[in-house]
Amino acid sequence: MVSTSPDRQTAPRRTPWPLKDLVLLVVLGVVFGFVYWVFVQAWTALSIAMGPAGDLAQHFLAGSWLLVAPLAIAIVQRPFAGVIAEVLASVIEVVFLGSAVGPMLFIAAAIQGVGSELPFAATRYRSYGWLTYALSGLMGAGLVFFYSALRFGWYGQDLFFTRLAIHLLSGVVLGGLLAKVIVEGLARTGVVDNFAIGQTRLAAGHGTR
Amino acid sequence: MSAPAVGRPAGAAAVGVLARRNPTVKLGLLFVVSLVLVFILDPVTPAVLYVLALIAVAASTRIAPRALALLHLPFAAFGLGVFLVNALSRPGEVLWSAGPLRITVEGLSVGASLALRTLVIGVLAIGFIASTDGVRLMHSLHQQARLGPRVTYAVLAGYRMLQEMPREWQTIRQAHAVRAPLRPDGTLPRGATALARASFALLVISVRKGERMAQSLESRGLGLSPRTTWRPVRLSAADWLMAAGVLAVLGAVLLVSAMLGHLEGIDALFG
Amino acid sequence: MAPAEPVPPVLDLDGVSVTVPRRPEPILRDVTLRLDRGEHLLVVGASGSGKSTLLQAITGVVPHSVLAELTGAVRVNGRPTVESTVVELSGHVGTLAQDPSSGICLPDVEQELALPLENHAVPAEQISGRIDDALASVGAGGLRSRRTDQLSGGEGQRVALAAALITGPELLLLDEPTSMLDPAGVTAVREAIDAAAAAYGPAVVLVEHRLDDYAGEAGVAGLPGRVIVLGDRGDVVAAGATAEVLTAHAARLHAAGCWLPLEAELRAVTGLAGGLAAPPVREALRGLSTPDGAPHEVRPAARSGGGQTVLAVEGLAVSRDAPDRGSRRARRRGVPVERGTQYLLQDVSFRLRTGEVTALLGSNGAGKTSLLLTLAGLVAPAGGTVTGARPGMVFQNPEHQFLAHRVRDEVGHGPADAPPGYVDGLLGRHRLSHLADQSPYRLSGGEKRRLSVAAMLAHERPVLLADEPTFGLDRRDALATTAALRSAAERRSVLFSTHDLRTVAAAADRVLVIADHTLIADGPALQVLRDRSVLGRAGLRLPPLLEWLLAEFDGDEQVRRVLHRLDTAVPAEAAPAGSAARTAGTAGAGAPDATATVSTTGDRS
Repeated sequence: MVSTSPDRQTAPRRTPWPLKDLVLLVVLGVVFGFVYWVFVQAWTALSIAMGPAGDLAQHFLAGSWLLVAPLAIAIVQRPFAGVIAEVLASVIEVVFLGSAVGPMLFIAAAIQGVGSELPFAATRYRSYGWLTYALSGLMGAGLVFFYSALRFGWYGQDLFFTRLAIHLLSGVVLGGLLAKVIVEGLARTGVVDNFAIGQTRLAAGHGTR
Repeated sequence: MSAPAVGRPAGAAAVGVLARRNPTVKLGLLFVVSLVLVFILDPVTPAVLYVLALIAVAASTRIAPRALALLHLPFAAFGLGVFLVNALSRPGEVLWSAGPLRITVEGLSVGASLALRTLVIGVLAIGFIASTDGVRLMHSLHQQARLGPRVTYAVLAGYRMLQEMPREWQTIRQAHAVRAPLRPDGTLPRGATALARASFALLVISVRKGERMAQSLESRGLGLSPRTTWRPVRLSAADWLMAAGVLAVLGAVLLVSAMLGHLEGIDALFG
Repeated sequence: MAPAEPVPPVLDLDGVSVTVPRRPEPILRDVTLRLDRGEHLLVVGASGSGKSTLLQAITGVVPHSVLAELTGAVRVNGRPTVESTVVELSGHVGTLAQDPSSGICLPDVEQELALPLENHAVPAEQISGRIDDALASVGAGGLRSRRTDQLSGGEGQRVALAAALITGPELLLLDEPTSMLDPAGVTAVREAIDAAAAAYGPAVVLVEHRLDDYAGEAGVAGLPGRVIVLGDRGDVVAAGATAEVLTAHAARLHAAGCWLPLEAELRAVTGLAGGLAAPPVREALRGLSTPDGAPHEVRPAARSGGGQTVLAVEGLAVSRDAPDRGSRRARRRGVPVERGTQYLLQDVSFRLRTGEVTALLGSNGAGKTSLLLTLAGLVAPAGGTVTGARPGMVFQNPEHQFLAHRVRDEVGHGPADAPPGYVDGLLGRHRLSHLADQSPYRLSGGEKRRLSVAAMLAHERPVLLADEPTFGLDRRDALATTAALRSAAERRSVLFSTHDLRTVAAAADRVLVIADHTLIADGPALQVLRDRSVLGRAGLRLPPLLEWLLAEFDGDEQVRRVLHRLDTAVPAEAAPAGSAARTAGTAGAGAPDATATVSTTGDRS
């Protein structure tokens, strides 16, 4: 009699990435890339209409670009999931959705991913409470802000601190707390049952529905 | 809402000299030029680079002038916004002021530099995207940049999913719309809530589809080694020549700009 | 040297059981079977009997990728699957899944077929030739330079089949390979499977519940020679030669909701062998056509023209690339039809009346879905008018329609101010009460369909449109769905599209047929189905049973009575034990309400 039930309780693991986890990260990149793209169509028109204010308004939505990392980490619960997911998402955006931002997006994505991932890494990928998500959004938005400030020359502007404040707030709400809401929703539907999140929740007794 | 067409179609013949160059080399050059530009903050150097880039892209791809101009729109608008914000919000020597608004010399200079940088990267990205097939790029990254086969084919599977996504999205939007109450003027609802619900449904359906795709890829033996490569993407002498040429031009422009006293670096931001 | 070892069987299952978390009962229970080289095996069972899990256990997906516990041993070519990864097994096992949209992974057909060869380190110079051979073996030589997102379902399945066989695996697994296809696709894929199996000679395991379509004209002879039958508990309830097992267990399979080849179905209901050609069977069918003094059994004849008109369509044109932007209701009226433009549909006029169930027929691509979307106000007409109150619409894939996180909220989304108990009443009538707190996405295929219908009915729209509502369902769920549509029509008008003419004959009062870019027939269901020229123009073919019934009986009543009695031989739910096992996954599975009532129509109090 052979009984197999992979032991996934201890994170982080050294085993190679299962293909389904890799594909999941790509799927997150594809879906969010597509959804942003749908939103951005409306958004671009709006920001052109807003003129100079449009440049400032981008910070309100900045957090939403961070979503992929916390989702990926929460579902596959592996080190580097956030960074890889962000970079894959930027590759899909540049290569297949034809984003004219160009390859600088790869660097921004990697920095964002690192920022978003640090709080989860600090808990050794075990804590998925509201606070961890909020910190994840804060760090992701914070790190990438300083890089963007260099790219777009925000340093030395009068608005520097206004930009920073809006950016961080957006990171916490859209890039952190919203991610938790989406993760909970996905877990309920059962489509992530076969990933690490399904196993840890089962072990924690969320398994009855 | 209508089904949007995503990106440029795979396999659609990309024409022009640039289309024959190795995708990884093109991507690398685009990356290097973008990175160098981040450290340049005077308006003259990027202006010269923009003119050169525009000529090179127009000559090496076959994008019609009108199409090229249209493709400029999004980042030209973005550049304009960056220019105005900098002109109005950067401390320095005041040229003009009215109430809370004032325009400074430093603001104009940095703003113009940033706007032109956006244009340079934008036009190069247009050239890259118009001349490069995404699928070929992934194969090239696999061969020349040692991207693992599993990552390569996971991304390509994602691309295939992306191709079907507009249709899927439209169906979900319609299926949701039929259940939504009409707005007072009799039109179907559009709005953040409706978009968010449709996005969630798309996410759920795509995650499940992704799991099945991963199973299909594994059942085709993805991950076995050794593996062979059918129709490899080649790296030729012409690719090296192009790389050398682009870098030489970039270096020459920077050198001449520095000698003429135009070139300014990051410290321009902090006045 | 050791004495020549006997060649191990290609596939060997020894007491295999599979249990997944969240379900107390095993999905698969103590399955033992053995398959030798080149042998073909059919696996049948109702939805939820563990057919797909059996295939996953063979590919290694269970337990390697899916969180599940497997006991017993699965050996492919003598090697236990728990010791090899799915990828390592891929050299021996090829798989064809249900849905070509996830079974094909790359943008071009060529790349899709090259990938398995590259992975198995086939020398590059041989690859092109082998792609040609594989495509030729599935009759798809012309598809080599196509993009995969432009293939039809049938073409996609043939490409996926070629990709599964191109490396020459010893074992080919087919997971309901034709269930997502229209009748033309079913025939093409079935022929491709036969041809490719002959060319490559693998052992084959076919999982299928739609045996009537899959077997086609050949009947039982068109199926693999051996069969195992999985019961609702996931155990093997019968095994042996297909013809014998289907005969001996016809009644049981029929009761489990399998679509049987006609011969076996008739055997199940009449107890007589020989199929439609046998005089005793014909006599028995004639016997089924006579009234037995229980008039409630057959629903009243179509109240044609009796009901109130709720949707009027005048001179409607539907454009090929739908101008769906805006979808303004104002644009639903009064757009003149431009002459000379080639529309997908034009000059379409009809009225929908309360109390009528109308079927919409037409070949694939004729414009059935586009027409329904236009009637629903989701796509603006290219010309003509649609007048009437706003219709509701049930989409082909129920998941596209889900809005809420719980079944109860899904149904409650429609009514703005429902009286207390309204939602519970609807849940009860559609046998969803025990799932009320479940996520809609966790339901089985049949449950999702019931939920999507119940949720749409809750909107209380006077017209219900449904796009292929019985597609991909097992027979039990398909019958429950048509019963729900009939019951909905008591206070509404129902219009549904379908490919299944038997369902039309049994459940529809009236038929609309579209072909040649317009409406070519509109009349009482059986009258239209008797019109050979209409069927010919629309590319529709009567199934043999219906053909015989329409030729045999002049009266519509008699035809309907026979079909009805054949259908009612299928219980709405299986035996209580099975039903409890299937709905497991909810807390308290097997609670009394899970063993649902037999009545599917329910009364509308």
